[in-house]
Amino acid sequence: MGFLVLREKKNPSPISVPQTFVDFIGSNLDSNLAMAKERIPDWLNSSLWSTTPSVDGRLHRFSLSPTTTTTTAAAAVSEPIVQPTVPVSPPAAASRPQYTVTSQKYEFRDPIDKNSNNNSNDNDQNASPSGVSPDDISRQAQLLAELSKKVVNFRELRRIASQGIPDGAGIRSTVWKLLLGYLPPDRLQWSSELAKKRSEYKQFKEELLMNPTEITRKLEKSAVDDHSKSESSGLLSRSQVTHGEHPLSLGESSIWNQFFQDTEIIEQIDRDVKRTHPDMHFFSGDLPLAKSNQDALKDILIVFAKLNPGIRYVQGMNEILAPLFYVFRNDPDEEMALLSGFRDHFCKQLDNSTVGIRSTISRLSQFLKEHDEELWRHLEITTKVNPQFYAFRWITLLLTQEFNFADSLHIWDTLLSDPEGPLETLLRVCCAMLILVRRRLLAGDFTSNLKLLQNYPSSNISHLLYVANKLRSQASN
Amino acid sequence: MVLVLAIGDLHIPHRAPDLPPKFKSMLVPGKIQHIICTGNLCIKEVHDYFKTLCPDLHITRGEYDEDSHYPENKTLTIGQFKLGICHGHQVIPWGDLDSLAMVQRQLDVDILVTGHTHQFKAYKHEGGVVINPGSATGAFSSFTYDVNPSFVLMDIDGLRVVVYVYELIDGEVKVDKIDFKKTATASAH
Repeated sequence: MGFLVLREKKNPSPISVPQTFVDFIGSNLDSNLAMAKERIPDWLNSSLWSTTPSVDGRLHRFSLSPTTTTTTAAAAVSEPIVQPTVPVSPPAAASRPQYTVTSQKYEFRDPIDKNSNNNSNDNDQNASPSGVSPDDISRQAQLLAELSKKVVNFRELRRIASQGIPDGAGIRSTVWKLLLGYLPPDRLQWSSELAKKRSEYKQFKEELLMNPTEITRKLEKSAVDDHSKSESSGLLSRSQVTHGEHPLSLGESSIWNQFFQDTEIIEQIDRDVKRTHPDMHFFSGDLPLAKSNQDALKDILIVFAKLNPGIRYVQGMNEILAPLFYVFRNDPDEEMALLSGFRDHFCKQLDNSTVGIRSTISRLSQFLKEHDEELWRHLEITTKVNPQFYAFRWITLLLTQEFNFADSLHIWDTLLSDPEGPLETLLRVCCAMLILVRRRLLAGDFTSNLKLLQNYPSSNISHLLYVANKLRSQASN
Repeated sequence: MVLVLAIGDLHIPHRAPDLPPKFKSMLVPGKIQHIICTGNLCIKEVHDYFKTLCPDLHITRGEYDEDSHYPENKTLTIGQFKLGICHGHQVIPWGDLDSLAMVQRQLDVDILVTGHTHQFKAYKHEGGVVINPGSATGAFSSFTYDVNPSFVLMDIDGLRVVVYVYELIDGEVKVDKIDFKKTATASAH
């Protein structure tokens, strides 16, 4: 899908809508569907992929049960209903109320088409009906169905999500939370989990973002009660400083010393946050919205750095945080908890030790060799384009820098939903990226290839993901 | 949280060669936001040294200062507080608290930082607070030879000031602190 409808549904006020987004994407569901129709010839005519001809690549990925008429009916029926759903959801400030809104809408659909809906809940229902317009809608319907169940079936969720999550009604936010393990599969526990995580984050913020003055004041309050000086004049009483806790202290355990050491990191975080996505009004610019978003990003990164003294802050964390923040932007508390929750996933990538990232890059190289030996040979041996030159940024920043924001959200949908794990999927997508431009690479020399790979041309994301998925099935053959 | 260093009466090179090494090791750049110097540095090298610690430097003239262009008094506002600086040799009797209180009312400041006596003092009266950081090098004064090196670091946070007093007693740095709040009506004159 080259174009995603990204509408600022959570902000009813038109002023706060990032204009660049709305202008660029277009705010019309119909136009998106029209574009969806135009996609099919592209895949069919793709000369790069001549192996298995397919009408709709997605059909091949999953079980080939024929699309039922009831599905189409459900999709068609759901279309007029989903449209009104979308504008209604903006007033919901937190994500929690949105669940009830969408589930209510879904229950409304039930009486109309009970049978098919019941079936869709239980069976391994197939994906979109042969790539025609209600593609998005049916996926949205399926996701909503899945989310409104009491216990979410993860396999099912992953399957649907790997096709791409539509940008409506906070679905992506919920799905990502589930996929990242932030929310448990049991729906009933969601509100308590959310409340718990949010209060945890609040507590972290209070503890870690205090400057030493406030800390000393707090400690004093607990130790000495407030003795109000009744005398209006006279020598001020002096009190001993405990544990060498004075601002110029050079002791390792002194809060002041730690504070000054932390300011260096905080300065770096500040600089990076200011540079995040300068083209997006959401993140940068003079709007108060941008400022508050930047402050929230900063707080999250600072708290994370303090909680993880092993990793602290690494340049690039801001880029990874940006899409997460954007998706969950209703509640900044959650991204922080999320970031700490799945640090295993992403922090392995940010692992600056040469062993971590080097091994991943060499795996990518190996992968390419398996799938396209000619290209591999040309790249690594003939033109000596070392994968480190381009793949480092691809892998560590999870492709956020290579594509525009909307596309990278789509790619992340696939990354997160794949049961093999994000790293495997990432490698496949990188490999697919290389294969898609193979003609240009084979024709180029070191300079032009490097230039091409470091400024990867914008392409059809769905096609890219389709190719990446093909790589998976090919490897198993 | 603004850190303000109040220091003075070093008398380098006439009465002392340099700051005590223990003080020097603590005074590193990057921590302090403002420096208030009561005077009697006396030479330009000391001025430059203070400039490396913090670019925002305020000095008033002491009677032995070689740079004659420092002002006699200075006032500045940091956060919610108005601070005044005066070396103190102009105020007679030297170190007399009532006379200093008069100077404070004249300058209309909450905190008056003054020196010349080479003795640390922190005194509160109804007009405000008078702080004397003493002599940072322990230079002898007209009163006495027995002077402990001392200086003051103020942590200004809203309406509250925590004054950290650094003294070198018997070769060891001792730190005390003094807390005071500014009431909203205190500066109503």
